[in-house]
Amino acid sequence: MTPGWLLLLAAIGITVGLAAAFKSPRLWLTSTILSLGAALAAAIWILASGRGWDWRPAFVVGGESVHLQLDAISAFFLVLLAVVGAAGTLYSSEYWSDTAHPASAPAGRAWWNVMFANLGLILLLANGLHFLIAWELFTISSYFLITLHRDRREVRAAGWLYLAASHVAVLCLFAFFACLAARTGSWELKPMHDRADLAPLFWLGLIGFGLKAGLFPLHVWLPSAHANAPSHVSAILSGVTIKMGIYGLVRFTGWLPVPDAAGWTVAALGVISAVLGVAFALGQHDLKRLLAYHSVENIGIILIGLGFAMIASANHNPLWGQLALAGALLHVWNHGLFKALLFLGAGSVLHATGTREMSRLGGLWRAMPWTAGLFSLGAVAIAGLPPLNGFVSEWLVYLGLFDAVSERGAASFAAILSAILLAITGALALACFVKVCGIVFLGLPRTELAENVHECGWRMRLPMVVLAAACVAIGLAPVLFWPAVAAASAAWQPAWADSPLPAPLATLGAVHLAFAMLIILAVAVLWRRIRENGLSRAGTWDCGYAVPTPRMQYTAGSFAGIITGWFDWILRPQRHEQLPKDYFPAHAHFEEHTSATVLEKVVEPTGRLVMHISSAVRRLQHGRVQAYILYLLVGLAALAILVALEGPK
Amino acid sequence: MIAGLYIFFRLIAWLLLAPLLPGIINKVKAWVAGRRGPPVLQLYYDLAKLWQKGVVLSTAVSPAHVAGPAVAWIALTGAAMLLPVGSAGAALSFRGDSLLFIYLLALARFCTAGAALDTGSAFEGMGAAREVSYAVIAEAAIITALLTLCVQTGSVSLATMLAPSAGAGAALLAAGLFGVLLAENSRVPFDDPNTHLELTMVHEAMILDHSGPPLAVILHGASLKLLLFAVLLTETVLPLGNLSLVQAVGALVAAVFIVTVTVGLVESLLARLAFRRVPLLLTTSFLLCLFALLVAWKGDKP
Repeated sequence: MTPGWLLLLAAIGITVGLAAAFKSPRLWLTSTILSLGAALAAAIWILASGRGWDWRPAFVVGGESVHLQLDAISAFFLVLLAVVGAAGTLYSSEYWSDTAHPASAPAGRAWWNVMFANLGLILLLANGLHFLIAWELFTISSYFLITLHRDRREVRAAGWLYLAASHVAVLCLFAFFACLAARTGSWELKPMHDRADLAPLFWLGLIGFGLKAGLFPLHVWLPSAHANAPSHVSAILSGVTIKMGIYGLVRFTGWLPVPDAAGWTVAALGVISAVLGVAFALGQHDLKRLLAYHSVENIGIILIGLGFAMIASANHNPLWGQLALAGALLHVWNHGLFKALLFLGAGSVLHATGTREMSRLGGLWRAMPWTAGLFSLGAVAIAGLPPLNGFVSEWLVYLGLFDAVSERGAASFAAILSAILLAITGALALACFVKVCGIVFLGLPRTELAENVHECGWRMRLPMVVLAAACVAIGLAPVLFWPAVAAASAAWQPAWADSPLPAPLATLGAVHLAFAMLIILAVAVLWRRIRENGLSRAGTWDCGYAVPTPRMQYTAGSFAGIITGWFDWILRPQRHEQLPKDYFPAHAHFEEHTSATVLEKVVEPTGRLVMHISSAVRRLQHGRVQAYILYLLVGLAALAILVALEGPK
Repeated sequence: MIAGLYIFFRLIAWLLLAPLLPGIINKVKAWVAGRRGPPVLQLYYDLAKLWQKGVVLSTAVSPAHVAGPAVAWIALTGAAMLLPVGSAGAALSFRGDSLLFIYLLALARFCTAGAALDTGSAFEGMGAAREVSYAVIAEAAIITALLTLCVQTGSVSLATMLAPSAGAGAALLAAGLFGVLLAENSRVPFDDPNTHLELTMVHEAMILDHSGPPLAVILHGASLKLLLFAVLLTETVLPLGNLSLVQAVGALVAAVFIVTVTVGLVESLLARLAFRRVPLLLTTSFLLCLFALLVAWKGDKP
């Protein structure tokens, strides 16, 4: 079967799934997963064969004839879409089941398929008008998925914010595609490198796609939407849909000429997103909000790679540009995999305990060993630690930056700065995930919510196992995945098509593999030794204190306190405290809340200002006809004066 | 076969020599204070004894409490294998290994801090929080040092980067890395390994609940990390790659000894800093590395 037939199969599967969403959940599950499997096969076909697929059927939609194509870049993103999508589909069948959510589950399944169909179309369509239609349908369907639980007020607020922000993005994209069509005379999308006059359009695309990708400071919608959506939807939002913003940027920076400042801007935005994303994540007490801010961080890492690739591309294509791009692209996959894994893990915690508040949890590993183990694996991966996949892609980005530094060219200073800040980001992410794993899964239960919990069923566990296995596979054998990355980067910049493997990925993989086996060996040896020497149990040493309670454990806020102190200037934490006073303090409490600074200090005041101006202007409309006649007369008189001043031509 | 044996012997040398360093430091401290002090080989005796002992595990801990020290030890040993010894090169060397070096240290930190939080003790939480927070600045300093070497040599592989001297900025880099060495190994003035107050410790607070073989693994890992940083510091300053192997090993041993004695002297002569000042001192180390980078930038192209 060729890619075309596989994609047809995928389309049929997703449609059958849509039709079955209300009547037969099992048929929905089977056909949706099969459809995503077919899409995966088509994408792998394209990446393996190196030939694109192009199809121009004879039918017309909206006055434009349909043009579908699947090249290495779109196939690369389609792989992620299919893998994470299939994992999320299976997970949702238990997590958002009909018994638990009789009202919203069927609608959720239907919107789910609408969203995936349109995500697939976005990757396939090569016509600006159709791209916009698919983009809008995807935006709306994901709004309904975010607000599945819409009887809760904060869910509606998050959904509303998402809808508003997404439509600012859609507006920019309308302008982007409309200007493109107006200047080229056709909605057709294809490489247009010779049209230097199209370069300024990049800025519109950057805002439109950047809003979707959630780069700082356009991330305002992201934390609340990710936190309040059902967890399987959060996994897709973070793993796949924000990558559509990255897809748009990669696609159109590859096809259209860009202004000189473009690469520098993207890299700078990447650095800012990475550092501030993780700083905000450290300040969060809500598990899913924290993970959402890590998406901002990882989008930042991806943009650093893309930005330096663009800089290289503008300066005679040195090979470090390919390294940076390869790192960025591989990080797209990696982040999709481990972030989906982490959100699914967070969903299983939420499912079991009913709370996302980390400081109420603790000690969950006892009842939920699978979730705890898999979540911790995801945490090691996202912190960019060897031997897992997060390290591989960050390593490629670093190599690109270091090579740019040693070249001592125009990009070197920027590369030095980016490398240092990337290292700081890595160390901060490590601190943050030590905090998450430690507070949520280790120690003792802090409240009764965390005490009587249960492990999730196999349909929630299997998707996590699959995603974790993918993380391990990319970590241990990165060279197997290199052809896909190389194909996509060659599609982006043809000058890099025939370059040899620029980094010793095979060696790194071998080192990782040896390292992983040594780890297992060392743990086994140590454990055996402990069994031989004898093992006894006692309470945790608390400096001799006689009655320790679980409430004395360190909390998420206290753990991150030192670092969030450094970032007070942007985190703007609000503290409500009543300190213990006198010799016999009666009552004391301390509460801390990190604000969403950009939203609360920039977007909301601007919104209020607009509303003030609008309500001031509204006084003109009061219902008195006499005054309206006066307006007319004044208007006419003003026009007459204008005409009189102009004089006869 | 020969190559395998060679790597094996180097590994053994690293593992056997590492526990010597804390012994030397303690001897120097005792000498300055006019005491006799514990024998230089004290840590070897301690390790042997701990390896024989039974284990008391907290009722709160998960398997991560035991796995953490093991993984951290493997990570530190792996990092040691990446460091070159003079002209003999590293046991394991490839393009980009310098970054793996940094991230192996980070993995060790992740595991140690995770194992500490596992006990649910507030003291260990404090220790872990301090460890991961200060490491942010330390990591910035180390990557800046590596960038300096990269500018200097045009390479990303430790064997090539560490072969020549760091040039004009070597003194700055040495001072910066010495600060990082003290901080990363929890020495005075950042942390006091001898304090008996859990509230004021970093590394020692994290391992309060470890005992027996896992504690032995942690202590050995800590000494390995100290040796690691001493070797890294030495090789950035001295052009060991240009000497013959015997000379290089001799110079390396002498220099590591000097670094160790200096740590001991610092520990005897300085008081521990207040915690809120620790980030400032670490930032100074980072800035020293950054100035070294600027000096290297102004220097000749490789």
